[in-house]
Amino acid sequence: MLSFNNIKKSYTTGDVTVAALKGVSANIRKGETVALCGPSGSGKSTLLNICGLLDDQYEGDIWLNNSPIPKNKNDLTQIRREKLGFIFQRYNLIPVMSVLENIEYPLLMLDMNKRQRMDQVIEIAHKVGLKDHISKRPDQLSGGQQQRVAIARALVKRPEIVIADEPTANLDTSTANMVIDLMRDLGNDMGSTFIVATHDHRMTDRCHRVLDLADGMLQEVQPQLDTRKAS
Amino acid sequence: MRWIIFAFLNVLRNGRRSLFTILVSAVAVAAILTTSGFALFTYESLAEKAARDEGNFIITHAKFFEEEEDTPLEYGLSDTQVLRSQLAEDEEIKSILPRINFNGLISNGEKSSIFIGLGVEPEEFMVKGPFLSMLSGQALSDFGDENQAQIVLGKDLARSLKVKVGDYVTLMSTTTDGALNALDFVVRGIYTTGVPDLDKRQLYVKLSDAQSLLYTNKVSSLSVYLFDLNATQRKVAQYQSRDQSLLFVPWWEKAFYYQSVKALYNRIFGLLGGIMVLLVFFSISNTMAMTVTERTREIGTVAAMGSYQWEIIRNFILESSIIGFLGAAIGIVISIIVSWGLVYLGLEMPPPPGSNQGYPLTITFSWEIALSVMSVMVVVCVLAAFRAAYKGSSKSITEALSHV
Repeated sequence: MLSFNNIKKSYTTGDVTVAALKGVSANIRKGETVALCGPSGSGKSTLLNICGLLDDQYEGDIWLNNSPIPKNKNDLTQIRREKLGFIFQRYNLIPVMSVLENIEYPLLMLDMNKRQRMDQVIEIAHKVGLKDHISKRPDQLSGGQQQRVAIARALVKRPEIVIADEPTANLDTSTANMVIDLMRDLGNDMGSTFIVATHDHRMTDRCHRVLDLADGMLQEVQPQLDTRKAS
Repeated sequence: MRWIIFAFLNVLRNGRRSLFTILVSAVAVAAILTTSGFALFTYESLAEKAARDEGNFIITHAKFFEEEEDTPLEYGLSDTQVLRSQLAEDEEIKSILPRINFNGLISNGEKSSIFIGLGVEPEEFMVKGPFLSMLSGQALSDFGDENQAQIVLGKDLARSLKVKVGDYVTLMSTTTDGALNALDFVVRGIYTTGVPDLDKRQLYVKLSDAQSLLYTNKVSSLSVYLFDLNATQRKVAQYQSRDQSLLFVPWWEKAFYYQSVKALYNRIFGLLGGIMVLLVFFSISNTMAMTVTERTREIGTVAAMGSYQWEIIRNFILESSIIGFLGAAIGIVISIIVSWGLVYLGLEMPPPPGSNQGYPLTITFSWEIALSVMSVMVVVCVLAAFRAAYKGSSKSITEALSHV
């Protein structure tokens, strides 16, 4: 599904160059939920951005469905538009749009008629439990509801890969559990691959694999897998 | 349509800032339309005056404007009746007025002064309307004593000679043969043109009396008046192509005052308009730069979701276009209100240089100019937004997403 081989990335500030990733390789299979863990500054956001094709300044190769990822910006944009969904820590909803419009936004960029779009939006809104809130604006929703909108927005186009950056970091425990369950259930329904940067052990416990980053190097650790919850 | 609605909602997002920018644009548009409306009124008034004074076009001898005459009317037109009857058949021509320009000395018997004379047909005073402001007496007329030559004098010339209506004066001039001739005239009226230099020297007599004085049957020129002023160029070309021996001159070629005022106003108001446009550009640039900076994370979000850079720029351009459009629309409304208000208040401008008469402060509202200014405003807003949005959307997505 998604493979990356010997990924290196460094940042230069003045005369100082810091290596964020020192040759990272992994192979993520279709339908897997993979957690990227590690302390602050370990490079997990850097790796997540590279996996999400948001950062094209790196060394190494990335393969998606056995095809190399192009370096051209427009091609990368097109792949993100068609195949990737994003969930952000701070939800990043567009404030002037309603819940429905926020969820519909990724579909507007695809060649899809209005009826198809509305069917998919209503279906996903129903699944995330926001069907009764679709006309509200983001500022009229709680944090948990906003993150559910963000999840619906990421999944509405049935992406091959969902990139989630600390999706539960801003949520209380019960809401975080609900969001984790929701991601897992929708992921299973749609067969999407999840790559999640997280510190949250509740999240890692429910992932198929946990990749631990430390000092720019990747190490696979066995999650304390709750098979009942993960599958 | 959807993107326009989103853009409108984004304009409302920071209502106070958007309102301020819209008001800046509105004031600039109102200022441009008000000043250009004033200039337009001035141009129209001067054009009307010039075309009324000299005729929509004038017909002269080919050398009339080129060479100095050795004797009066050396390059005058003779036998104009044939030409006049030909012109009279043209349904677009309202009237044809012959004219003699001459000069000499005017005397009251005790004191003499130089004059600039115009020999015209009394019909001219009816055709041209009230182009002279009569201070006393009446304009030239075909009625009255046919044997008594009539004259109307500029007010300062009359004052200089200490004559009033009913008094007699003598005009002395050189005939077309080069001899000196004199003729007595009774003062029928005293007028002012509003231009002191003309009031000091100018006088009008009947064409036939001028011809008697100059001992000729020639005229200096024929002034042709059309029903439609806009047809001037076409008619000049039409007649000039028919007759190369004569010169057909449209009114604007001899309207030197009109041309110099227009050139001056165009520069002044053009500069003013340019400054206004720059002001709007900087204001919109500032607003859009702040907007783009505030929404950097949003730019990163939509870029991450697969929006192309041009799509992001388009959204900001739509927003600034709405601001520009609303500003221009409000500016147009303000300008219309101001133009109506000035008519209602009846304010006057002070006399222009070389004149002693003020004129009404009026603004001609032109939809053509208003729509052009609106288009310019929208283009300026688009350019300002493009500059800011291009810069904002050129950031890397990761940098944009981490913007606080």
